[in-house]
Amino acid sequence: MRTERLVQRLLGLAAGCSVAVTLLIFGFMVILGLPLATGGTFFRMFTSAWLPHQGVYGIAPMVAGTLSIASLAVVFSVPVSLGCAALISVLGSGPLPALLHRLVRFMTGIPTVVYGFAGIFLLVPLVREWAGRGSGMCILSAALLLGVLIAPTMILFFSDSFASVPRTYLEAAEALGATPVQKLLHVVIPCSWRGLTSGVVLALGRAVGDTLIALMIAGNATAMPGSVLEPARTLTAHIALVVAADFDSLEFRTLFACGIILYLCTTVMVIFTRRIGAAWEQQRW
Amino acid sequence: MSAQPRFKIKVRNLFFSYGENVVLKDLTVDIPDRAITAVVGPSGRGKSTLLTLFNRLWEDIPTARMLGSVQIHLNGSHRDIYHRSCSLSDLRRSVGMVFQTPNPLPMSIYKNICFPLKLAGKSDRKQMMPAVETALRQACLWEEVKNRLREDARSLSGGQQQRLCMARALVLKPEVLLLDEPTSSLDAAATEIIEQLILSLRETCTIVMVSHDMAQVERVADRGLELSDGRVVLK
Repeated sequence: MRTERLVQRLLGLAAGCSVAVTLLIFGFMVILGLPLATGGTFFRMFTSAWLPHQGVYGIAPMVAGTLSIASLAVVFSVPVSLGCAALISVLGSGPLPALLHRLVRFMTGIPTVVYGFAGIFLLVPLVREWAGRGSGMCILSAALLLGVLIAPTMILFFSDSFASVPRTYLEAAEALGATPVQKLLHVVIPCSWRGLTSGVVLALGRAVGDTLIALMIAGNATAMPGSVLEPARTLTAHIALVVAADFDSLEFRTLFACGIILYLCTTVMVIFTRRIGAAWEQQRW
Repeated sequence: MSAQPRFKIKVRNLFFSYGENVVLKDLTVDIPDRAITAVVGPSGRGKSTLLTLFNRLWEDIPTARMLGSVQIHLNGSHRDIYHRSCSLSDLRRSVGMVFQTPNPLPMSIYKNICFPLKLAGKSDRKQMMPAVETALRQACLWEEVKNRLREDARSLSGGQQQRLCMARALVLKPEVLLLDEPTSSLDAAATEIIEQLILSLRETCTIVMVSHDMAQVERVADRGLELSDGRVVLK
């Protein structure tokens, strides 16, 4: 009994610590970003451009860059991941599914910088040639590469939720003459909505939070991007670039606003996943 | 329509094993048409395996091996169901199966019955409802569920779920119905309803059922097959 309570308290303490750290980081960003709000520039920041020489520190282009790169990456990655997960859990036969699963696991362990490096040499020239203009370092290149980076997260999530579909459902469908593809479309996918949405949101979170790919591939221009073939700077890359040059100025203070946005993005996505999952569970059919 | 054959299913020199474990040895048996054949015998002698040989449901098991032939009289002629020309989906639509534990899909009662029709590519909504009603009536479930067709099938009782699974198998109008201990998870009252249902189906299809319950076999079956040492002893 005593060890039971001790373990309970220790685990409670650990949980409390992680909650406290998360909240403290948020509080810290709000407090340090406060001079922006009192200076009256806080809301203007979200709508204006980044012109440090004129004293205008707007982060609107970075917000646009982050959103376009992350959402495009998810758009590229979802179909590929869905197909790959289906091959691993439902459609594949022989040694292929196991091999693919191992390969995907291995992919999660490759450092991001390696992807970025490979992207500069392999992907950027291709995009440059295809587009026929610019340097090739643009939203499209970054989104494609980021799509590859987040795919393993999605594939593992998807294939896990496919694999957790009860065997009796599959057996019922098989005995009624369902082909493997019908089994996937009519039984497996409808039964795994929850896992599918979680996987997509998690991958989106990873895409929003990733720094290195955008920093290396997207071109880092601070101008508002007009098309996917133009360079852009993400919030994360912006933080990395400004931190490297400066540590106490209004310019630096804007980073706290970037941090708050990223923080809120993640929070909203987590809440969204929970809500969607619960709602689907109730009225799926 | 050609004349009905005397035997619906012909099994010839069948060997079946899971890895090293030989379950059926040189099995040769004929299953009569439009009759209820019960397969009996102690656990682990391959009764359920024998059923899955008739709809090829064993094929996903990696270590399973089969030799010999199984012919089923489908669409007017005996066909080797393991021949390349035999489509697996068509076979399973003609040879329905009901499992030991009821396995309704996580969808409404109506959608559960429509599901096999949808798989077979029949998507005409006007024909769906009559087909669903016929199948549910055949399975003696219509009166109990006609006002709650949109409810989740998993909200039904065990016996109702099993009759739903029967209806789901019947909606495709199978020629053969395989029942793997269909009452083993049900109480006495539910068992009696299912037994009546099985008897009423004898007119429309050939039924092969596995049962542990000798009393049940005597009440329901026209013929018993006992599996012993991988071979068949007629009862």
